[in-house]
Amino acid sequence: MVHQHFRLVSPFTVAENVVLGDHRDVGRSFVLRPRAIEARVEELSHRYGLAVAPRARIWQLSVGEQQRVEILKALYKDARILILDEPTAVLTPQEAGALFETIRAMAADGRTIIFISHKLHEVKAVADRVTVLRRGQSVATVPAAGATPRSLASLMVGHEIEAGRRQEDANEPGEAVLELEEVWAAGDLGVAALRDVSLTVCAGEIVGVAGVAGNGQRELAETIVGMRPATAGKVRVGGRSVRNGDPRAAIGAGVAYVPEDRLGTGVAPGLSVASNVVLKAYRKPQVSLGPILRMRRIRELAERVIERYDVRTSGPNVPAWQLSGGNLQKVVLAREFSGEPVALVAAAPTRGLDVAGIETVHSYLRDAAARGVAVLLISEDLDEILMLADRIAVMYEGAIAGERDARVATAEEIGLLMAGGGD
Amino acid sequence: MVNNSLVVVVIASGILFGTPLLFAALGELLAERSGVLNLGVEGMMLMGAVTGFWAVERVHAARPLVLAAAVGVAALAGAALALIHAFLVITLRANQIVSGLALTIFAGAAGLSSYLGNDLHLSGKPARYQFQEIFPKSLQDLPIVGPVIFGQPLLVYGSWACVVLIALYLTRTRPGLNVRAVGESPAAADAMGVSVPRYRYAHTLVGGAFAGIGGATFSLSITPQWVDGLTEGAGWIAIALVIFSFWRPTLCLVGAYFFGAFKALPFALQGHGVTVAPELFQTLPYVATIVALVLVSSRAARLRFGAPAALGLPYAREER
Amino acid sequence: MRIERRLRQPWWLTVVVPVLSIAVAFVLSAFVLLLTGHPPLRSFHRLFDAAFTGNGALSETIVSATPLAFTGLAAAVAFRMNLFNIGGEGQLYAGAITGATVGLLLAGSPSPLIFAAMIAAGAAGGALLAAIPGILRAFFSTNEIITSLMLNYVVGLVLEYLIFDSHSYLRDTSGFEASVFPQGKTLPDEATWSSWTIHGVVLPLGFVLAIAVAVLVWVLYSRTRFGFEVQVIGDSPRAGRYAGMRTRRKILAVMCLSGAIAGLGGASQTGDFRHQLDPRGLRAANYGYTGIVVAALARYNPFAVVLVALLLGGLQNAGFTLQGADFPAGLVGVMQGLILFCALGGELFVRYRVRFAW
Repeated sequence: MVHQHFRLVSPFTVAENVVLGDHRDVGRSFVLRPRAIEARVEELSHRYGLAVAPRARIWQLSVGEQQRVEILKALYKDARILILDEPTAVLTPQEAGALFETIRAMAADGRTIIFISHKLHEVKAVADRVTVLRRGQSVATVPAAGATPRSLASLMVGHEIEAGRRQEDANEPGEAVLELEEVWAAGDLGVAALRDVSLTVCAGEIVGVAGVAGNGQRELAETIVGMRPATAGKVRVGGRSVRNGDPRAAIGAGVAYVPEDRLGTGVAPGLSVASNVVLKAYRKPQVSLGPILRMRRIRELAERVIERYDVRTSGPNVPAWQLSGGNLQKVVLAREFSGEPVALVAAAPTRGLDVAGIETVHSYLRDAAARGVAVLLISEDLDEILMLADRIAVMYEGAIAGERDARVATAEEIGLLMAGGGD
Repeated sequence: MVNNSLVVVVIASGILFGTPLLFAALGELLAERSGVLNLGVEGMMLMGAVTGFWAVERVHAARPLVLAAAVGVAALAGAALALIHAFLVITLRANQIVSGLALTIFAGAAGLSSYLGNDLHLSGKPARYQFQEIFPKSLQDLPIVGPVIFGQPLLVYGSWACVVLIALYLTRTRPGLNVRAVGESPAAADAMGVSVPRYRYAHTLVGGAFAGIGGATFSLSITPQWVDGLTEGAGWIAIALVIFSFWRPTLCLVGAYFFGAFKALPFALQGHGVTVAPELFQTLPYVATIVALVLVSSRAARLRFGAPAALGLPYAREER
Repeated sequence: MRIERRLRQPWWLTVVVPVLSIAVAFVLSAFVLLLTGHPPLRSFHRLFDAAFTGNGALSETIVSATPLAFTGLAAAVAFRMNLFNIGGEGQLYAGAITGATVGLLLAGSPSPLIFAAMIAAGAAGGALLAAIPGILRAFFSTNEIITSLMLNYVVGLVLEYLIFDSHSYLRDTSGFEASVFPQGKTLPDEATWSSWTIHGVVLPLGFVLAIAVAVLVWVLYSRTRFGFEVQVIGDSPRAGRYAGMRTRRKILAVMCLSGAIAGLGGASQTGDFRHQLDPRGLRAANYGYTGIVVAALARYNPFAVVLVALLLGGLQNAGFTLQGADFPAGLVGVMQGLILFCALGGELFVRYRVRFAW
């Protein structure tokens, strides 16, 4: 199985990861022979078009390369059945094409591939047969040849949907609210993650940041909200410069942040829903009197949020980790909006949500823009961006490779920018 | 005579004094590589010391057999204690720090080791059989290498063998690769079919066995008596030593002898007529460990030399 | 056997499980006693008598419990935020040193002034020492377990040096025995901390202070913004940073608070009980490490810490009183360890539901 979240040991080399485990069939030996292992890895990677250096350490590899290692693991064990879970989430359109070639080569070898995806055109591109699941049950199995994205989508959701991008005229964008000026920032491994990024988001505008995962999107969000210090350049909100590397300053300037790591960052999972609702607001006079907290007020606030946003939970004192992804996201959104932000940074807000959850989030984002909030939507799902954004900025290797008007840009054009064919 | 010089004496004694540290640190290194932090080393060492001593007093056979049995008993005692810790933290997912401390309190000075030492009337006399130097006097009199290499008891040579074996195990064998994966990313190891609990149990128990042997080194070679609280904090130093050595067996050896030398230094100086307050000297290894730790903790270093990423964290498959 | 996380924790579990753990621990201890030829029931009876019911036993138990209450509170304060301050031992020594110094310096001053000064000095000493692992953790991401542990040794050695190897201010250099049997200078009478006697039970100032600290800590952690931040950061440091909390400052603050409380314990040792700087006694007592055990048993609740300190203090006290040929030495450590093991194991049942598949 090739998981969505890789099961790789970061400090190990590619070869070590591939050979890890107790394999009964593939030469179970006590002593490791590194050269023989590396030779076999090289052979497999050439045969299936998965170029990766056997001695490289995982933390040195890009996400796309790491995925190749995951596939090599399965091939090394001579897996006859491979399950690929959302494999193209981390690939450019061109890399995805290369992956489909690999899949076809593996299938030609007599292996069976199960390809899990919510990207309907991909499914069509690579599959022989398509099975649609809804609410844990198999709804239909159709040959890929006859299916269209629309027919598949209607099977998924249960009714005909209006797919497509923003048709209505965007609101007149207002003043520039969120401005990045020549921002540089360092990544976790010391290499520059943001290079000379300049971007503007106006009031009422949704700017989508597209790109293959790992090209600086995470660092972009973190730098704007102060969780990562910029090494150069400025972030401005409403014309005023925000103090670098200080989340409290960004919050005070009116920047709301919906992080992609919901449970790890956006919420304190062991604390109650009520505590999480006031996670940022606890310093405000309505919630605390000097250093003392107003416990009753906090409860009331939480109950109001639960009702207004239809959060499915048994009460405000339930620990946050018990909530489903969709409900958790509602709590996060509710909290962020209640602060009356002027700018909202949403990173992968619909990841892991079901179709209903996705629709909810999208409607909140559109509402926010309609109310004049400057929305920066960072997402790996190009379809989502095409559906919601007014403008699209593409990130490649830490820089903005290009900006396009979302209403006229084509997926191919964006894909090219994502792969480095910049302006 | 150069063999009586300060440097040679300190190095030779440093090796001897460092040997219990080395054994215990090697054991803790194995446990930590699998992701289990065991702060009960001091307790396990004391149990090894007292049970090893007891075995030497009670087993009647030829000298080599008795000593071998004593080492075996000490190892078993350490492993048995480690089993408690392993059960609590691996199966019951208890907090590893508290469990390790509980182990030290349970078995340490004023605990089970003291209980056994008193009840079995083990204190007040030297061990009936002791580990002594094994090479002939002629080799021991060689300049420098004589006392340093040939003048050591068998346990020291045993510790060298263990360093080599463990280093080879971790880098060149499949189980060694697996255990490193368990310590770095239990989820990845689990997905590849490696049994995380089994590896953690095995390495924690072996870690305990080594700690027991380390303790026996005190009661059967260095001191060689049973005294309540004999190890005087060596177990804690061993824990620091694992970090100081960046979880690498070869560096463990260097570090153990470094610490051992500092312990030996005040006595050696006294032999040369220099009296220095021993306490201030003895703080140096601890300070050095803190400095080493700060250096290891910088982000870049952590990637290259750092702790196993999953150290101290319980692993629950359904909570992945 | 399947282990699944509980969705709701009924409140009674958090009381029943620890009590049951202690009961199981007693049973296991009885087993150990039987195996080694000591009569368990009689031993327990003697233990209980020496700890609580005997003549003057409760007062003696309070003497043993006071330092444990301080180090227990110190550990609880830090562990609640997942800051594993193992340095309570050394921070207590530091507080003892600073407390003794101030007590000696202020000889001749009115007692309340000396008490206040010693309390402040003790807290300051412990806080300053704890600041070292605090700073290293907050600003250099260095693991505080090992740094605080190492400092225990450093301060312990300094403590011994002050009395045994130097001619420091704290050492008693008068009298012709002084150079042969080194010991600390005795504090003046006015520096002896007060105590109150209620129904024949002696309550030293230190114990009363510990209770006050427990109340303060409870209020701080459950009702204030500081406490809220500690909860959030303890649960998820990233979420804390995301919410704009000053995580690094909080780490330092909590470490210093923890060290200060342990330091108070040290000052109390000097002012209430020992009236001099006593390295051998302090080092042998292991108050710091036992305090961690106390905190863990009390599940980091400040009031429970005081109760558990009394329990374990009773055990310690009984151990001292009963020491002799017919009472097993080391029983105290064994029982403490068993209680802790059972409590740790019992934790499982509080957090998880265990299902057996037949």
